[in-house]
Amino acid sequence: MSVEIKINVNNRDYRLIVDEEDTLLYVLRERLHLTGTKEGCGNGECGACAVLVDGEPVRSCIILAAEMNGKNIVTVEGLSKVEKDGTVKLSPIQESFIEEGAIQCGFCTPGFVVASSALLEKTKDPTDEEIEEYLSGHLCRCTGYATILKAVRKAAEKTR
Amino acid sequence: MSTIAVGKSVPRFDAREKVTGEAVYIADIQFPGTLHVKVVRSTIPHGIIKSIHTEEAEKAEGVYGIITGEKADFLVGICIHDQPPLARRKVRYVGEPVVAVVAETEKAAIKAARLVRIEYEELPHVLNPLDAIKEGAPLIHEDLGSYFHLPTFNPKPGTNIFHHYHVEKGNIEEGFRKADVIIERNYSFPHIAHAQIEPHGAIARWSKGNELHIYSSTQAPFIVRSVLSRVFNLPSTSVRVTVPYLGGGFGGKSDLTIEPLTAYVARFFPGKWVKFILTREEMYFGSLIGRGCYSTLKMGFKKDGRLIAAKASMHFAGGAYGDYAINIVTGAGHNSTGPYEIENVYVDSYGIYTNTPLVGAYRGYGHPEAHWQTERHMDIAARELGIDPVALRLKNILKPGSENNLGQIIKESNGNLEASIKIAVNEIGLGKEKRETEEIARDHNVRIIKNTSKGLDRRAIPVITKKEEERFAVGRAIAPLMKSPVMATNAGSSAIIKANKDGTFNLLVSSIDMGQGSITALSQIAAETLGIPVEKVRHYRAADTEVTPYEWQTVASSTTWKAGSAVRKAALSVLDKFKETASKVFDVSPSELEVRDGKVWYGNESIDFKELAKGYVFPDGHAIGGPVIGTGAVVPHGLTYPDKKTGRGELAAEWTFGCQAAEVLVDRKTGRIRVRKFVTVLDIGKAINPLMAKGQVEGAVVQGMGAALNETLVYGEDGRVRNASLTDYKIPTPEDAPEELVTIFLETPQPDGPFGARPLAEHGIVSVAPAIANAVRDAIGIDLYDLPLNQDRLLEAIYQREKGKGGDK
Ligand code: FES
Ligand code: FES
Repeated sequence: MSVEIKINVNNRDYRLIVDEEDTLLYVLRERLHLTGTKEGCGNGECGACAVLVDGEPVRSCIILAAEMNGKNIVTVEGLSKVEKDGTVKLSPIQESFIEEGAIQCGFCTPGFVVASSALLEKTKDPTDEEIEEYLSGHLCRCTGYATILKAVRKAAEKTR
Repeated sequence: MSTIAVGKSVPRFDAREKVTGEAVYIADIQFPGTLHVKVVRSTIPHGIIKSIHTEEAEKAEGVYGIITGEKADFLVGICIHDQPPLARRKVRYVGEPVVAVVAETEKAAIKAARLVRIEYEELPHVLNPLDAIKEGAPLIHEDLGSYFHLPTFNPKPGTNIFHHYHVEKGNIEEGFRKADVIIERNYSFPHIAHAQIEPHGAIARWSKGNELHIYSSTQAPFIVRSVLSRVFNLPSTSVRVTVPYLGGGFGGKSDLTIEPLTAYVARFFPGKWVKFILTREEMYFGSLIGRGCYSTLKMGFKKDGRLIAAKASMHFAGGAYGDYAINIVTGAGHNSTGPYEIENVYVDSYGIYTNTPLVGAYRGYGHPEAHWQTERHMDIAARELGIDPVALRLKNILKPGSENNLGQIIKESNGNLEASIKIAVNEIGLGKEKRETEEIARDHNVRIIKNTSKGLDRRAIPVITKKEEERFAVGRAIAPLMKSPVMATNAGSSAIIKANKDGTFNLLVSSIDMGQGSITALSQIAAETLGIPVEKVRHYRAADTEVTPYEWQTVASSTTWKAGSAVRKAALSVLDKFKETASKVFDVSPSELEVRDGKVWYGNESIDFKELAKGYVFPDGHAIGGPVIGTGAVVPHGLTYPDKKTGRGELAAEWTFGCQAAEVLVDRKTGRIRVRKFVTVLDIGKAINPLMAKGQVEGAVVQGMGAALNETLVYGEDGRVRNASLTDYKIPTPEDAPEELVTIFLETPQPDGPFGARPLAEHGIVSVAPAIANAVRDAIGIDLYDLPLNQDRLLEAIYQREKGKGGDK
């Protein structure tokens, strides 16, 4: 069965006919070709597919696109801003991920920066408990996490 | 030496692409009209395929075709050719690909795959390597004797042993006769998963002109090319392998994985791109897994602690096909008795077929297994001898002038193990008095770089009250390490550098940046050699066998050291060409010229690189030189094949020495071990990029903690992996990062490494498990021999001890 949905992704409106079974991840990647959002497990276990739905981080591999009607969605592609003259401005969290060496293979990175952005939207001075709340369940096999934690703390400082 | 590019913590060049979601990985590649593959896998561990029924599946919607192994009249492999791309006649493990369903969409392929029926005649199976070598064990490869293999490998037809490597030094019997104390123990390291966050994938297309192009998440494009051109009988020029960004490798994407299958299946659909991406579940049995070693170690000591004899026998469960595990067996054999000088050594290392998923390279391969036994053993021996564990090690370590097991003489330039140990001991708080680490480094005349990273604070352990003393215990211990790469004697690397007219340069190599940062580090090496800022070097992002020059493969932590040497040579050849042209302009000999600041100088006069990049144009318009391209190539220095009898020879091209140390908190009630502080000291020769080097170590340590504390593939009796998900196979999460993660690099330059660099990316994992287990012993007095040190195992050990004591405290 197909359903029609209207969604806003990274500030653009889309009207789509989707299959009832399609996940949001599938629609983002295969229909809208927003391949920045990654599939690490497809089961809600790794966090690589995180996107913001109405500002809240969500695992797009385990929610259905059909349920997204009327929602505002931000993917990793939408975190940086494109200025009028075409220059790209990264968000503070993106910058500090780069500076602190919080990226290695980069496959987990979209999920981590999306979740961290949501955290910094909520608070400019996150406690370690809050960091844990937002990042737990996000898996990275490369970094050992210390650089990621440092990047989040540093971005928080920058935005204060 | 002041530098302009090397030794600087420049942020990685691919970071921007990765943090914005622009970086393209294998699954992100979407060609119009792509067909999708779903594989039907064996449900039994060992048996004969009696029939395959595909009629229903063929009729399913969107299906293009159903492929079996029937038409695959070749075996794939590198060192030993023992594997069909899809099972033929027999299956040898649960999860072996038997049928490939090709359909318009992934969904259609999945649906149709459910309609395929396969009938088997089951055969007895064997999962454990020690059982697999017993008399009468089921034979997994009847045809082992007819398989092609490279001359350095030693299969035993008629058995399940696909490789036996033996090392002999001195006279082992005499060694044990002279020993005052002999200690023997068994150890095990289970199968574990690499668990890269990116699943493997490949996309292949055969052109109608019979040329194959395959995109793959591989660490080894040239190996893939060479095997595919062999099995399909094509010239190298007709097989093109392109590698996009790789989402983590750790060895699990080296050699070959799913490429032969994908290429074989795509063969039936010329003109179509055929895409095969593993699911997370398939990542636990559908590509390569790691480790799986059962070992016995026996050591003989003199009363004063001198280690005079060591006998190791290591049995590797290589899985159903042995090709990729074969070098692990040799690597473990090289260094199985640790970084010690021992007069009498006798090592047997066996690769054994088992009805389990295929084992391949996994970070540090052979070495974590070897160090697990040896570094645990040294701790146990120290107590039996009544000698401090640190002192016992210092007494026996390889020093300049020592002869290792392989007959190679250790030189000062190989790195400073003694200083590494002393620094680790000091940092973890086991020294007699706390000293400044810098001071110890000064004593040893070695440069250091130190970094401390923090995990989540809430993990800080509250002060343990008197009441809780019974429950919690803190322990500290060390475990030294050494690692040398195992590689083909001609494992070459090459590089191309192209000069541009604006003073920038394009760098082409085929090393794969799977996260370790080679794109950045190799650019730094090029820039330093050329004497220009690193921003002026652009490293080609993909590897492509049709574009980028030969690289053996990206394994063994060899890229910075070996590919880096090729890059340095390529840069030097660019400079030579610049000088040659400039010498004609100045009308002097090239040897009178100097290079500095992006210019070629003769005395006070100079010519900018920009004016030389395309050749030089004189004021009257006539031109000399021509566009400048530099090339560089290397093979490892002087490697030889092992001696047939003793297994010795020039087998290790270099070593990295180091020492790790752990401080753990053990909860006797829950059996939980927390790593509070972890220290890694490595003599890496030169940190080309300290930020990224540190990142490699931290990542390796936490990965190693996963294996030490928790990770193991759990098999059912039928050999099915029972925990094939990230929920059931837990890897470390952000909360698991130790509160304090200390990384210290020593810089004793490696003579043949670029700017003195030597390998480091795997090494941070090598002694993590024994350092933790030794610290657990220090905390609660219990010796553990089997990994992982999970809660069940620890509680059981505590229970057994209390029972043995007759109390129930
Ligand atoms: S892909 Fe969605 S959580 Fe892993
Ligand atoms: S950077 Fe590779 S998984 Fe996180």
